[in-house]
Amino acid sequence: MSATPQERLEVSISINGRRYKAPVEARKTLADFIREDAHLTGTKLGCEHGVCGSCTVLIDDAPARSCLTLAAQADGHRVRTVESLTEGQELNGLQRAFREQHGLQCGFCTAGFLMTATALLEENPTPTRDDIVETVSGSLCRCTGYQTIIAAIEQAAAEGAADTQKHDEQEGDVL
Amino acid sequence: MKAAKFKYVAPRSLEEALGHLGSDPDAKVLSGGQSLMPLLAMRLAAPSVLVDLQHVPGLNAIEDIDNAVRIGARVTHRAVEHSELVARRVPILSLAARHIAHPQIRSRGTFGGSTAHADPSGEWPTVLLAVGATMHLQGAAGRRDVHADDFFVGPFTSSMEPAEILTQVSVPATWDRWSFQEAAVKAGDYGLALVAAVASVENDTITDARVSVGAAVGSVTRLREVEQLLIGAAPDLNTAERAARVATDSVKPISDIHGSSDYRRNLVGSLVKRAIVELKNGA
Ligand SMILES: Cc1cc2nc3c(=O)[nH]c(=O)nc-3n(C[C@H](O)[C@H](O)[C@H](O)COP(=O)(O)OP(=O)(O)OC[C@H]3O[C@@H](n4cnc5c(N)ncnc54)[C@H](O)[C@@H]3O)c2cc1C
Ligand code: FES
Ligand code: FES
Repeated sequence: MSATPQERLEVSISINGRRYKAPVEARKTLADFIREDAHLTGTKLGCEHGVCGSCTVLIDDAPARSCLTLAAQADGHRVRTVESLTEGQELNGLQRAFREQHGLQCGFCTAGFLMTATALLEENPTPTRDDIVETVSGSLCRCTGYQTIIAAIEQAAAEGAADTQKHDEQEGDVL
Repeated sequence: MKAAKFKYVAPRSLEEALGHLGSDPDAKVLSGGQSLMPLLAMRLAAPSVLVDLQHVPGLNAIEDIDNAVRIGARVTHRAVEHSELVARRVPILSLAARHIAHPQIRSRGTFGGSTAHADPSGEWPTVLLAVGATMHLQGAAGRRDVHADDFFVGPFTSSMEPAEILTQVSVPATWDRWSFQEAAVKAGDYGLALVAAVASVENDTITDARVSVGAAVGSVTRLREVEQLLIGAAPDLNTAERAARVATDSVKPISDIHGSSDYRRNLVGSLVKRAIVELKNGA
């Protein structure tokens, strides 16, 4: 069976354990799908061409820029956004460390840093400072000067506080 | 910025993918999207159809074949970086992978995408030229193999036809010594200069060598004068210093806001010296 190229197509993406189905334009990015179709606005868009890292999410548990992935490419894949880190109002350990170390000021970049750090700590719960610096070098922050972000990730690692809980898939069409 | 409209298709076989490319001259392959998506967002590229290779079987393996390691086009930078087979048989790839962008890009960007993109600042094009890799291409008419010397023909230009797909790259595992050197302003940035060097050594004499430079030049280039000097010489500090001088004199660097041509010329010299010292020590 051979598929025909489509300008609009139906995608089905698991985001934070819930399945979101919607018809989208082929050119729609995963970032726009997350914000506009799934209405999860924690993920922020800075540059929209892969340079700033603020749109970072986890696709199949690996950190990725959601502005450089099409919603169509993410069809059938698992995505986690910053909203997955916490249930309700309680901050998880990593988020608390960002707050305690002043790892954010305006907060625009924060969701991207949190997801990048989550991926790092899931893969390597005891990163060296160099590992942390290397990882955060992929994201831009115009406010903090980075030292407090690095300190926050160090604190979270020391406390073993990364949220490694992966949500169980819940079925049901949301859209 | 948002991309202009295009159509999307994710074929399940190579034949089907080739069919889509063959039936529309403005159709383009989509692999990791880490170079193509920014071009679309800035509207520097406006393909009619994107043919996503993610479900095409047979493009995801890293295989040990006789004298080479064969890497599928869809293998991510990250998978190359973490491959034990690559580290053991073609360690220059493990060394270079760490210089490619950031973890968030390496998890999506692919070996084949970067090779096909033929970015003059790309780590893979620079390394593949130095090791003398072979690109395996598939077109509607059949398969063909292209040596790296004939593949990278200019900035962002390869000798692939628009309706061909790069399926695998064979990286020779036969070199005795390897070195990869890069100068970048900060970790993950595109480099200002890249140097890759490989050599065969017998009885403390270099019997064969290839050296390439990326980023500092308009398109990835072999430093043939340096190679000539190395062959027959001993892999020692004296050779490294002479090689650095020859590199500085023979390279034709570009000049842009990131670095003047004089600055890059000196960078290339320093990196060549470091590379030859590393060959001396063995890698
Ligand atoms: C912020 C940032 C920093 C970066 N830094 C670096 C860096 O330091 N070094 C570096 O080398 N790269 C860097 N990159 C680019 C990255 O490595 C890309 O992954 C790579 O250049 C392209 O691979 P891709 O799989 O993403 O290909 P895509 O973007 O999907 O495709 C790139 C091009 O190749 C074509 N193509 C892809 N696959 C095939 C195939 N199998 N057959 C035929 N044609 C094909 C496409 O049609 C397109 O024209 C960076 C990217 C970003 C966003
Ligand atoms: S918005 Fe995606 S990297 Fe800047
Ligand atoms: S906190 Fe403002 S950009 Fe990082």
